[in-house]
Amino acid sequence: MQLRDYIIRRLLILPILIFGVSVIVFTLTRIGGSPIGVYLSHEMNAEEVAALEERFHLNEPLYTQYWYWLKAALSGDFGYSGVASAPVAEVFWPKFAATMELSIFSAAVAVTLGLWLGVFAGTRRNKWQDHVTRVVAVSGASLPLFWFGIILLIVFWANLGWFPVGRSNAEIWASIAHPTGFYIVDSILAGSWQGLVDALWHLTLPAITLGFGAVAIITRMMRSALVEELQQDYVDAARAKGLPERLVLNRHAKRNALVPTVTVIGLTIAFLMQGAIAAEIIYRWPGLGRWMASAVVRGDQATIMTYVLFTSVLFLFANLIVDIIYAKLDPRVRLGD
Amino acid sequence: MAVTDLPTPPKRETAFGVRMRRWRDLLKTLLSNPTTFIGFLIIFLLLAMAIFAPFLAPPNVPDPYQMPRDWGATRMPPGTPGFPLGTTNQGGDVLYGVIWGSRTSLQLSVIVVSVTVVIGIAIGSIAGLVGGWIDETLMRIVDVFLSIPELIFALAVAAILGPSFTNIILSLCIVFWVKYARIMRAQIILIRQADYVQAARVIGDTKLSIFFKDMLPNASTPIAVQATLDMGNIVLVGATLSFIGLAESGIAEWGVLVSEGQAGIASGRWWASTFPGLMIFLWALAFNLVGDGLRDALDPRTEDKR
Repeated sequence: MQLRDYIIRRLLILPILIFGVSVIVFTLTRIGGSPIGVYLSHEMNAEEVAALEERFHLNEPLYTQYWYWLKAALSGDFGYSGVASAPVAEVFWPKFAATMELSIFSAAVAVTLGLWLGVFAGTRRNKWQDHVTRVVAVSGASLPLFWFGIILLIVFWANLGWFPVGRSNAEIWASIAHPTGFYIVDSILAGSWQGLVDALWHLTLPAITLGFGAVAIITRMMRSALVEELQQDYVDAARAKGLPERLVLNRHAKRNALVPTVTVIGLTIAFLMQGAIAAEIIYRWPGLGRWMASAVVRGDQATIMTYVLFTSVLFLFANLIVDIIYAKLDPRVRLGD
Repeated sequence: MAVTDLPTPPKRETAFGVRMRRWRDLLKTLLSNPTTFIGFLIIFLLLAMAIFAPFLAPPNVPDPYQMPRDWGATRMPPGTPGFPLGTTNQGGDVLYGVIWGSRTSLQLSVIVVSVTVVIGIAIGSIAGLVGGWIDETLMRIVDVFLSIPELIFALAVAAILGPSFTNIILSLCIVFWVKYARIMRAQIILIRQADYVQAARVIGDTKLSIFFKDMLPNASTPIAVQATLDMGNIVLVGATLSFIGLAESGIAEWGVLVSEGQAGIASGRWWASTFPGLMIFLWALAFNLVGDGLRDALDPRTEDKR
């Protein structure tokens, strides 16, 4: 199969999968009960409640309700969030920006550190440095993210007082405009050095918390890929013709080891989305994760539904892009079934 | 000239015997790896703690899975006589929570892993053996399930079922069978072609007997690796759900304890979160170490090529 046909086929499957996810989540949320709660108040009588049910089509069968939900969602209306006391679509962007800023920052840290550690361990196979890295990586995968964050808070916030909690200093935040919602970008646009420092200062602890588990994933993959590459014949050939070890690594082995490592990007993105929930609770970060956490505890259906759908779409697209990159980088990959 | 004079044929091993010998060899390989050995040791200690919990910490009446409350001894630091790990804001003994939390976690992981393994094996086998449109339908459902990140899916399901520890168990059962179904289906399709299955078919074994005697045991290896990793992973995810607030407050569960200890850290009470969280870490770490060792021992690809 040609790469182009493969991409087209995957793009055609994508909406079907998203449709499947929306059906499952919609059915599940409605099994949990009617979402009428957010529209009710204590003064309403039975007739008014019935009128509301009529208005939001809650007295009709489930598939009709789904149809109304789908129509509204396609036109950008995702319902009313009880937790945020506003329509979901209205409050989504600033929270999305907050979560993305945190995730991108963590990902950058994790990829840099993970690739470096993977090479460090892979080139020192079965030496003590390799064993230490393995223990660090396995620990990272076993560490409850929410607990790790609390330990960092105990040390660096409660005891040493080096880092703050939250996303920003309220005064500095208010002093600049926020056209994008990304604090770092906004402060650069406003030319505010103070804002940039404030943004980075607040980002440090949550980014370390969130990035640490992702480091583990990347390190392990990079290490085993590099170990595998270093056993290949072309490495022997390169060494035999007298190429310095540094060039053997940089020009040949590392480049090829990156190919299988690309496949964990999807996994890393899922990990960051999931981890962001706990990290945002601990650091009082005003993002999607913290919104979802309070929605979950209070049964806010519109928010839960939107959040699950959104993360799934993100996850599916990430995996699609990963597969395409992988197929492009490694011509041996068979496309199709 | 008697028939008994014939040399006795070499003793033949039964399939069961061979399997047992392989398991023994595997265990020997595993225990010779230091990190795997440490994993086994931690698991052994944690299991001992869960089993002997009533002797280590006298059960709270009426419900031992509820944290005891001693309003005369709130916010005690570790080292206080009677409370070696300190007490919570409500006067709960942190040591009690650490010990009885191991029982809660053991229940959680054993229930979820056995339920999901059984569902996964059943669905994967049906898909792999029957094939056709049934296989196609089941695998598309699996695809949809895999499109939602696990923790987020479990979180949404648990939220809809309503906050309680039982519902956390239920939601994890709903979410985590998918991987097993995938693994099982791939194994069945592979094994179906194997010579020993063809041979069993030729000598006229029933389909059921072939499935249980030949296919299931030979498909079990990757399932066992995944199940070991999940024993740790489930506790990690379950604790995250209860940390977020989906379990009842006041139960002796590590995630709940970490969450409830959070309030005190600003005033320097670090112990109420630290110790229960450490237990989650140890639990997940132990099963990850053993699962990794198991995978390395069973996967011929990770062996040295030179």
